[in-house]
Amino acid sequence: MSLLPPDMDEAGFAAFLEELRGTVGADWVWSGEADMFPYRDSFSPVWNTGEERHASAAVAPENVEQVSEVVRIARRHRVPLFPISTGKNFGYGGPSPNVNGSVVLDLKRMNRVIEVNEERAYCLVEPGVSYFDLYREIQERGLKLMLDCPDPGWGSPVGNSLERGVGYTMPHFRDHFGAHCGMEVVLPDGEVMRTGMGALPGSDTWQEYPYGFGPDPAGLFAQGNFGVVTKMGFRLLPLPEYYRSALITVPRRRDFVKLVNHVNYLSDSGLIGEVEYGSPLSALMGNADFMALATRTGGPSDAEMDAAASDAGLHNWQVELQFFGPEKATLENWHYAKDRILSDIPGAASFEGDHFPMPATEEQLNNTTQPWQTSIKRRRSLGVPSLGAWKIVRDDGHVGFFPVLPRTGEAVFEVQRVLGDAMKEFPTLPPFFNALTTPLFWHTHTFQMVFAPSIKHDDPAHNAITHAAMKKCVAVAAEHGWGDYRAAPIYQDDVAGTYSFNNHILRRFHEQLKDAIDPDGIIAPGRGGIWPRRFRA
Amino acid sequence: MITRRDLIKWGMVAPALAAGSQAAFAAAPQGLDALLVDERFPFDDAPLHAGVPVMRFAGDVTRVWYEVLDARWRERGFVLGGITGSDALFVLETLATHQGRRVVTRTPLAEPDARGVAPVSWVIAPHHPSVAA
Repeated sequence: MSLLPPDMDEAGFAAFLEELRGTVGADWVWSGEADMFPYRDSFSPVWNTGEERHASAAVAPENVEQVSEVVRIARRHRVPLFPISTGKNFGYGGPSPNVNGSVVLDLKRMNRVIEVNEERAYCLVEPGVSYFDLYREIQERGLKLMLDCPDPGWGSPVGNSLERGVGYTMPHFRDHFGAHCGMEVVLPDGEVMRTGMGALPGSDTWQEYPYGFGPDPAGLFAQGNFGVVTKMGFRLLPLPEYYRSALITVPRRRDFVKLVNHVNYLSDSGLIGEVEYGSPLSALMGNADFMALATRTGGPSDAEMDAAASDAGLHNWQVELQFFGPEKATLENWHYAKDRILSDIPGAASFEGDHFPMPATEEQLNNTTQPWQTSIKRRRSLGVPSLGAWKIVRDDGHVGFFPVLPRTGEAVFEVQRVLGDAMKEFPTLPPFFNALTTPLFWHTHTFQMVFAPSIKHDDPAHNAITHAAMKKCVAVAAEHGWGDYRAAPIYQDDVAGTYSFNNHILRRFHEQLKDAIDPDGIIAPGRGGIWPRRFRA
Repeated sequence: MITRRDLIKWGMVAPALAAGSQAAFAAAPQGLDALLVDERFPFDDAPLHAGVPVMRFAGDVTRVWYEVLDARWRERGFVLGGITGSDALFVLETLATHQGRRVVTRTPLAEPDARGVAPVSWVIAPHHPSVAA
């Protein structure tokens, strides 16, 4: 496959690549088909179709000076760059660009953990540092700090947070972009900028106060295309002294509304970490009659679900709670949570789970001794990176749609019904939205629900269904005020288009900014649905 | 850089692994530094024990990667053979690519199961000049 950057001929491309080689070394520029294969999105639902996005080349600079020079070269040649950190953004496009022929700016060689400060609980890292690298640094130095990592944990803190990825520990650390503090950015003209206190020469608070003075542009670099982030600081958790888990179940379907409100209170008060909602009735989904009830158009009534639960001797809902802190504090917090919920919801039941001093042993990380069938993935809950999530990936991967919805039980019921009905158009897909679908409490103050249909490299018909279902999900959800939080390049225009208040003023504002600082679209044109003038035309 | 000679050599190893123990053992000394076995798939690897270190796991490559491969793949050389699920190979291939390595040969050993996972024999070898032996 011979692919060129936009508006460029073979000779120009050759000259461009030669300049790159002169900057980073010949071994760190790639353009052949075999070398570029890893830069395809292996989870793409448009795999091997005309819609798949391909890069023309890749370049891997070693330091910020080289990044700056690569950007300047690209600017002279008007070649779009697509920056990636470790390229593990699977389900959301992986390392593939928005624009065919873009050159991947692969930052994997910039893999220095610049600082980990135990006393002040922060780190400063380069984009090529993975969560595993950071975890290893903390472990080998014996620091009493805990990460908040995604699952799987092979991506980078920089890349994941810039995608607004999430983790699984305490509320304000699960929002990875929210937990960042200070960044260094190469702008589209090659200048190097630092945000927040990093802009003040001599400051020692770059990773402790994110704003500095005046407007804070840091948000422009998350899911955006206004620069290349080359360093980023993050707040870290002091390693908790103790971990405790517990389970609460509630009998009736409508009890979920109160349960959610109580859990919200506990979370907002800093008493609990990530929770896992679930339904004991999931055990009945193998029964055809119950499956039909749970997936019925319009949804079942509360009375029908309560009757099914009663007949089976099961409760409708459950929540697994996790507590971090001093041992006595975790115990008191659990007692408080139990008393609060059980005194308000008749018939609610409570169960104590594993609890132990931190750090966890290997057996505790394996999570084999919980006295109930648990949904807690202990490693990620304790900030230990893992690759085990890949055992649950079906087929050749999946794409992800995770609508943001209000943190209420009523909203969850509405999403179950609305998206459940909408997805009936695609009967070969699993019923992601049904009467038992529970929310994910990942971001600090919102719920999300998961739609992640699989893709198969050798089954374009299956992929076409997945692709169509994704687009429909985005559209139907937006009609009800539920917006996607993150999307692959092939869906970014669809998603950005749903954030349309006041005749798309948000997008038009972004375009104005893009035109002002990067009119030729050197940095990731199209990313986040933001297109510069050159490509809008 | 992987040479044509390397490809021919490793191309013989993976089918040998797939064919069974004796043949794999015979081929392994020609180029493998270690063998990775996914215990989810029954395989008589006893004859492989002599000569080539065997690492085992059961679907989740976290531990073997964190404790062994991450360090070995940062160094030059190290040719790894494996008989694993295709899901585990996806993870390993992605990690290997990041560190200048490639799957140079792969042989499916059975049809995929309901999740789309099939046992595969393969060889991952250094490719980029920064890690080539």
